[in-house]
Amino acid sequence: MMEETREVQGTWDLSTLKFRIEGVGLRRMLDGMKEGKLIGTKCHKCGTVYLPGPFNCRKCHIAINEPAEVSDHGEIMTFTIGYADVRGNPLEEPRVAPVVKLDGCDSWIMGVLQGVKPEDVHVGMRVKVQWAENLTGSLQDMAYYVPE
Amino acid sequence: MRNVGIIGIGYTPVFVSKRKDVNIPEMISEAVDAAFVNTGLTPADIDAIVFGNMHTFEGVNLPHLWAAEHIRSLGKPVMRIATGGTTGMAAFHAGYYNVASGLADVVMVVTYEKHSEGDAQVGLMGIITPELMTMLSAGIDVTGGSGMGAIGGGSAGGISFQASSYLYHSGAGIEHIDAQAALERRNAAKNPYAHLKDPEATAEKIAQTPLVSWPIRFGHICPTTDGATVCILASEERAAKLADKTAWVLSVANCASDATTANLIESQITDPAEHRPAVIASRQAYERAGIVDPKKEIDYVEIYNGFAHQTLMYLEKIGMCEVGEAHKLQEAGELEMSGRCPVNASGGVVSTNAIGTSALNRVTECALQVMGQAGEHQVEKDVHKALAHGWGGMMQYVTITILGDKPKKG
Repeated sequence: MMEETREVQGTWDLSTLKFRIEGVGLRRMLDGMKEGKLIGTKCHKCGTVYLPGPFNCRKCHIAINEPAEVSDHGEIMTFTIGYADVRGNPLEEPRVAPVVKLDGCDSWIMGVLQGVKPEDVHVGMRVKVQWAENLTGSLQDMAYYVPE
Repeated sequence: MRNVGIIGIGYTPVFVSKRKDVNIPEMISEAVDAAFVNTGLTPADIDAIVFGNMHTFEGVNLPHLWAAEHIRSLGKPVMRIATGGTTGMAAFHAGYYNVASGLADVVMVVTYEKHSEGDAQVGLMGIITPELMTMLSAGIDVTGGSGMGAIGGGSAGGISFQASSYLYHSGAGIEHIDAQAALERRNAAKNPYAHLKDPEATAEKIAQTPLVSWPIRFGHICPTTDGATVCILASEERAAKLADKTAWVLSVANCASDATTANLIESQITDPAEHRPAVIASRQAYERAGIVDPKKEIDYVEIYNGFAHQTLMYLEKIGMCEVGEAHKLQEAGELEMSGRCPVNASGGVVSTNAIGTSALNRVTECALQVMGQAGEHQVEKDVHKALAHGWGGMMQYVTITILGDKPKKG
């Protein structure tokens, strides 16, 4: 009977997986971000606006494809304050991560909030997107949120 | 639909962070043997087997076939179920369907997790890999330092949004999460099958543990546990012959909403603390069990709480109290083993989390309370009806099982 488990080194090569990873709505959103715009998808039946847009409405269960521009201002719905990085190492400065409902949009988007002390953040707080200097059509274009 | 009862339970001798003395099939076998010893049954008495564990946590994707002889399934029907944290109860429900439908008379549900041989974070990654690949291809900053998207930190990162929203809507504070974690770690000290035990735990002690992702502290988070749990179900007719005591299944229900994690492909539209699945499934379960007022009729509750705030949040969702009341019940001492609404006398998931077993342990712990066999952690009040809750999936899937000390009539 062996008393100890043993470790064998190995890696998992994710590049062998061939996901079809780009939803129609995500492509639309990323293309819009090159222009500094946030383009979601609206359900023509119930009016729900999603960002990024799925190709069916979650409420009506019908195909949707109507572009709808969403504001880059919005409201904090919930938030957390991170004290550790992805690997569990302590961060030098706590990081405020809100989930924001942008005006004119029904879905929520996560991000990072700057320019506010962690103790001053609250649900319902108004924030706006701080766009990156060079827009490239990537999620990095929405660099972070700042108070409105 | 036939009446179905729990006639036997088997646990591994301990639930701890590292079982280095047994491999996975051997550890599963311990719980299977315990169930046979506790019931006096033999493998010949079992008509079918349902098996449950987390996907990819140990990198073993066919454990029920790898461990076939260890779960005594040779020559018998067997299936595996994996629904995330709810796995154990989903497997239990499948066992119940087998017996209630008349397909089988006696079914054994086998669940396990051996975290020490795996990596929970890699396992969780395996759930959201396409999502993560999407984020990477769309230019996400994987360190979470800037840009739109997920914040690192596994399920603690995701769950903190739920905890934060729960606090906002209920009026509870982080001190109530501290107190709930302490209450359950004290309870765990009375349960021989619990992992993290602290008879001296207090809210103040928990509050000294570091914040991981506000409002979630290290002390609010479940451990990673090695262990296995087995539960044997039988029809009314067979239970009468095979068992001295039976905990009867009065109803089962489950429900999902859309994924309430960072849903970048499809966009997130649901508050992770809203949890309509818990509301819907619990109401269905009450109706099926003929329960009109759960506050009066349910004597005991086991909540699946990977994180301590979930005990309070789900007590509200399942209607054991009104929204904003759970933390007041806690302050009044009603959630303790001696209280009017005792919850998680076992120590809950926040004290013991061998994930595949965890939702089944909510059921088996309710069964022990109903049968009066919980020993040192038996609650003070008489338990005639008990509710077991499971939580999992992409943070949005809920299972409910209601047990009683008498079989359902009609």
